[in-house]
Amino acid sequence: MSSFDAINYSLRPSKSIQRQIVFDGVRLLADVMDLDRLAYVGFGSIWFTDFVIAHKLLRIDDMVSIESDEIGYSRAKFNAPYSTVRVEHGLSAVILPKLFDDSLLAGRPWMLWLDYDYELNDSVRDDVRSVIENAPVDSILVVTFNGLDKKYGQKPVERPDRLRELLGPVVPDELTPAFCKAEEMQITLARLGIDFMKSIAADIARPGGFVPAFRILYRDGAPMVTIGGILPVRGAARGVRDLVNATSWPSWPSKPITAPPLTMREAAVLQSLLPSKTKLSRTDIQNVGFDLEDEQIEAFETYYRQYPAFAQIVS
Amino acid sequence: MAFNLCKYTKSRLLNHETRWAPEANYVATELTDKKASANPTKTFFVKMITKDILLEDSILDLIDNSVDGAWRSEGSRPMGLSEGADLSEYSISITLSPTSFRIIDNYGGMTLDDAVNHAFSFGRQATETNEDYSIGVYGIGMKRAVFKLGTDIKIRSTFSDENKQRVAFAVPINVQTWVTNDAPPWDFDIESDEPLEQDGVEIVANGLTPGAVRSFESPSFLQNLRRTIARDYTLHMHRGLKISINGSLVVGAQIELRASEDFTPMHVEYKDETEGMEVSIEIIGGMLAPPPDSSEPDEKADSENSFGWYVGCNGRIVLAADKTSVAGWGVDGWPAWHPQYAGFLGLVLFTAANPAALPLTTTKRNVDTASEIYRRARPRMRDLTRKWIDYTNARKQAPDEAKAKEKDAALVSIYQLQKVDAVKLPALTARSAPAPANVHYAVPVTRMKKLAKALGSINLAYREVGLKSFDYTYNDLVGEE
Repeated sequence: MSSFDAINYSLRPSKSIQRQIVFDGVRLLADVMDLDRLAYVGFGSIWFTDFVIAHKLLRIDDMVSIESDEIGYSRAKFNAPYSTVRVEHGLSAVILPKLFDDSLLAGRPWMLWLDYDYELNDSVRDDVRSVIENAPVDSILVVTFNGLDKKYGQKPVERPDRLRELLGPVVPDELTPAFCKAEEMQITLARLGIDFMKSIAADIARPGGFVPAFRILYRDGAPMVTIGGILPVRGAARGVRDLVNATSWPSWPSKPITAPPLTMREAAVLQSLLPSKTKLSRTDIQNVGFDLEDEQIEAFETYYRQYPAFAQIVS
Repeated sequence: MAFNLCKYTKSRLLNHETRWAPEANYVATELTDKKASANPTKTFFVKMITKDILLEDSILDLIDNSVDGAWRSEGSRPMGLSEGADLSEYSISITLSPTSFRIIDNYGGMTLDDAVNHAFSFGRQATETNEDYSIGVYGIGMKRAVFKLGTDIKIRSTFSDENKQRVAFAVPINVQTWVTNDAPPWDFDIESDEPLEQDGVEIVANGLTPGAVRSFESPSFLQNLRRTIARDYTLHMHRGLKISINGSLVVGAQIELRASEDFTPMHVEYKDETEGMEVSIEIIGGMLAPPPDSSEPDEKADSENSFGWYVGCNGRIVLAADKTSVAGWGVDGWPAWHPQYAGFLGLVLFTAANPAALPLTTTKRNVDTASEIYRRARPRMRDLTRKWIDYTNARKQAPDEAKAKEKDAALVSIYQLQKVDAVKLPALTARSAPAPANVHYAVPVTRMKKLAKALGSINLAYREVGLKSFDYTYNDLVGEE
């Protein structure tokens, strides 16, 4: 089952926040890299949420969406939001190599967001490798995958070997099952995934290397992992590194994003308390008439600027 | 006929600006009283000596120097398995990043004499003898290593002289400046220095070479370096030597073999001699793991597993998990390596007071197969290997009996093995079995992984998934036999 049959993509608040955090980072990158002719490659599904942001926020025109599902492809073409969005039918493993030779996309930087709704598996790994080996200079790679521990082996003891099989020598010999459980698994996947990306770029001697820039753990239902970085032209590498290593860099939050699904009324009332000089407490929420877990309050307070506003239209 | 390359200057050699194409009449008239300029340039030298060595091997060269220092401090004794030596006082710390490299040890330091006569001279003097069970045999190691690493280098040493006075000196090398003057002698300035915290040597390289930057950026390079160090210095680490990389201690690899009533690893020791130099040889081998049920190449490549032959020279592993003609596979009457032989591990250790007697290549990453000592060890290695091969053949006719016996064999550290002249493997009784039907088919890897997970483990070999799903279907549709 494809993800567009499972849930309306736009309704997941943590995912929505994560998306904005990624684009916030990319917007900052324009100061240190030449992103004027940036093209966008992603999995737009039938919602194209990221494509709309890319067009509105980053002013990207040329965009390619990859869709492997037969019916999904037809619906995606129907739903393409702009005339400059091209939908390619096929698996990413087949389409990506074609795009590397595409005349429209050649010789200009890309933002690639490979937003999988399943776990990091052999084909995801191979896609990541091929992008790092072939993407034009100054490209930005973002990858999202499912970080649920059980996806990597039913028993914890199986998981280190599974990761070794997937990611090869970057997985330390001393990785124990304890690092492959629950939230630790998401952290481990993010760390090793980024190490894998760095190693590929180093192994093929990409002149500007790979600069890790994105690491976002989030969950609405399934725990998800978003990682990625920049493949800068040699001259831009230092500027990019300085930017992403600064404390102001938005796309590497230390804590997982677990935004509460709120009604419009709850979100509006909470928002009216912010920004606040002191940290919002559970009592503050109870005082305005409802209740939330401490973790949910903290998540909302941190990300209320990015919290999505949705309305349901009842027919 | 030999040509003298008249007036073929150093700069021309380097720049490749002109290709010299002799014409017969020109040569005849011009070559009479000319001589070739055999003086190399430093640039050429730096380029050549670093060309054929891997960065990882350069780092190992520096570790070798440190280990030799420790060994000398411990009284330079043989490095056989049973020889007692405590190296727990000694540590080597390596710190590396995309901008710099540093290695520091506490092995008592390099003396000023060593520095002047060996470490910073080019090539050891012919008269020099080494009787210290070291592995730094060519005297080129340190220079080659630092040139490979960077262009701005500082080597510092602190040692205590015969009067127990601490002496400290430093050798700064700026490669770019050093190569500007080719006039002999090619020496480095030695200057006095602040003493290090403990007697030892510190080498810092900045201005890293592009190859070093690229490697030190790579997490997979760093993990592989740890693995190599864990394997190649495991015999030293077993004696207490500590090596750390970026603050984290490397744990030596365990070398173990399985032993039981039916399985006894071979462990022999003998002495040999080459050009008047004595060499002790220890050969150990047997079953590390039960052989695979299938001889099909499986998902794990042969290069990734730890089976095969290992060779150590004065304690340092120089060849690991070899499945090639270097150990002897496929030559001299050995069959070539085949996945059926997986499970075997053999280790041959050469120990000599003079490292020149060891079958060691200059990179210390391989065996000098022309060495007479090594050639004479090979038949014993072959006999051991042959027995294992025969066992894996016999096993195919009696797999259940073999598996039951293999299950009883427990891992034993090589340090605990008794001396046994020949490997003991079980004699198996062949049973007649119905003719097998081999199945081969391809499915998408994602479906295979899902089924593996459903059958109990995501890491099941594809073959296991095939067998289990056959059994499952067989039981369901045909019923238990």
